[in-house]
Amino acid sequence: MKWLEGLVVVAAMLLPFALIRTEDLTTYVYWILVSAAYIAYTAFTMRWEP
Amino acid sequence: MNSFIILTILYAIAGTVIALYARKGIRSQEDYFIAGRRIGGVISALTYAATTYSAFMMVGLVGFSYATGVGAVGFELLYLVSTIFLLSYYAPRVWKISRDKGFVSPAELLSYRYGSAVAKLAALISLLALIPYTSVQLIGVALLFEKNGLTFVEGIVVAAVLVAIWAMLGGLRSVAWTDAVQGIIMLSAAVLVVIWTYLWGFSNVSFNAEVSRLGELLYVPNSFWTPVRFAALAVPWFFFALTNPQVFQRLFIPKDSRAIRNMIILFGFFGLIYTVLVTFLGLELRLMTELGTFPAVKDRDAVTPTLLTYAPEWLSLLVALSILAAAVTTANSVILTLSSMISRDIIRETKNIITGRIGVLVLTLLVAVFAMQRPAYIVELAVLSSTILLCQLPLILGIFHWSRGKKYTGISTLVAGSSIAVTFSFLKLSPLGIPASIWVLLVSFAVHLIVSVVEDLKSA
Repeated sequence: MKWLEGLVVVAAMLLPFALIRTEDLTTYVYWILVSAAYIAYTAFTMRWEP
Repeated sequence: MNSFIILTILYAIAGTVIALYARKGIRSQEDYFIAGRRIGGVISALTYAATTYSAFMMVGLVGFSYATGVGAVGFELLYLVSTIFLLSYYAPRVWKISRDKGFVSPAELLSYRYGSAVAKLAALISLLALIPYTSVQLIGVALLFEKNGLTFVEGIVVAAVLVAIWAMLGGLRSVAWTDAVQGIIMLSAAVLVVIWTYLWGFSNVSFNAEVSRLGELLYVPNSFWTPVRFAALAVPWFFFALTNPQVFQRLFIPKDSRAIRNMIILFGFFGLIYTVLVTFLGLELRLMTELGTFPAVKDRDAVTPTLLTYAPEWLSLLVALSILAAAVTTANSVILTLSSMISRDIIRETKNIITGRIGVLVLTLLVAVFAMQRPAYIVELAVLSSTILLCQLPLILGIFHWSRGKKYTGISTLVAGSSIAVTFSFLKLSPLGIPASIWVLLVSFAVHLIVSVVEDLKSA
């Protein structure tokens, strides 16, 4: 599951190469939102006990 | 004496006071190199951030986004999310095993599984990779001083003295506390310079209305950010959290599992905010160039220095101080980590603190002498550092996911991977169009797999 999560995140970060081609800040904002969402997700998931 | 020199003296005094205070209670190498594993989550996060984010951010990344557009943001944020992913999975495990087994040097984790010869080789490869990388930090500081009245050599000496004194006095506790203060300086300077630049450049025109002037810089792929180039740049940084010893050793220092959790989350948000600010600054300046309100800068590393000539003196000083802080925090963290590897993995002295302090002194001298040569190939060497260190990845992952492989697996993986990194990088080889960093990973993993199976069969 962890590696699937990693693949999903990397795929989400690479998505603009295939899907976004606009001359505005869409790509920039998209990358920020994906990163922020992933950091928030890790903060709220219960997997911190070693 | 100009304002920057006065500010540097004040900065040096403040850092030295912190370092003197931090040196109390250091009795063992564990206290000296990893602060006795007693650092809280906030300080751990700030030292992790200050160690990770070097002068590259405020100089290199501003220029990179100015010259190449939003692809620079994707590259840097891919590094960040991959780091958070790897840390959220491995950091608690590394933290626990380091505590249970008493690891202090990052290579001791390799020693535990693959033997002391492998740890020694990993320490030597880290020295080879990180001395040029650390020299780049000192060169950056020296160039800053060169614009403010000192000679290049005097700048190197000032930076080296700051790096050595703070690390020698209080070890990691000193480095972590000074890192925390400097991390706040770095973030504050970035916030203020972005706001000031926005008010300067876009008080009469709308940023959103004009941003389309940036054209292909607003999407990927474009003429610079091809998928292959993105992969070549991103892969070495993707695994930075596991392969670079100065950040890996930070996983040993949090005082409890709650502190390590806070460290990673706070680092994530620090990294996100800092990256957004720095890259937005680059885009702001590029749009101002298109609008004719900021000069076109050909050399991308000169974008921030050019901005500083237009900014008010207080802001120029603050940004210059933040660049100095970023360089010093990265350099002293690397040197302290390398010193722990020399002491514990190479000469195998695990009790005496003096060997650590001598190590810091000798390494700082080496780095300073290397920096003074000002070699033309220094940037290539710095880029090479992360590529070389990738050869450790199969060994680190093997500890958690692969039960086969001992001494010969470790040695052959490190030798094969580092040889490929050095050869391909210096000869600028990319067979089949695949970047050197990916070849290092492919070869290292292949050698690790084959030799570990053979080694396992022979020992059975």
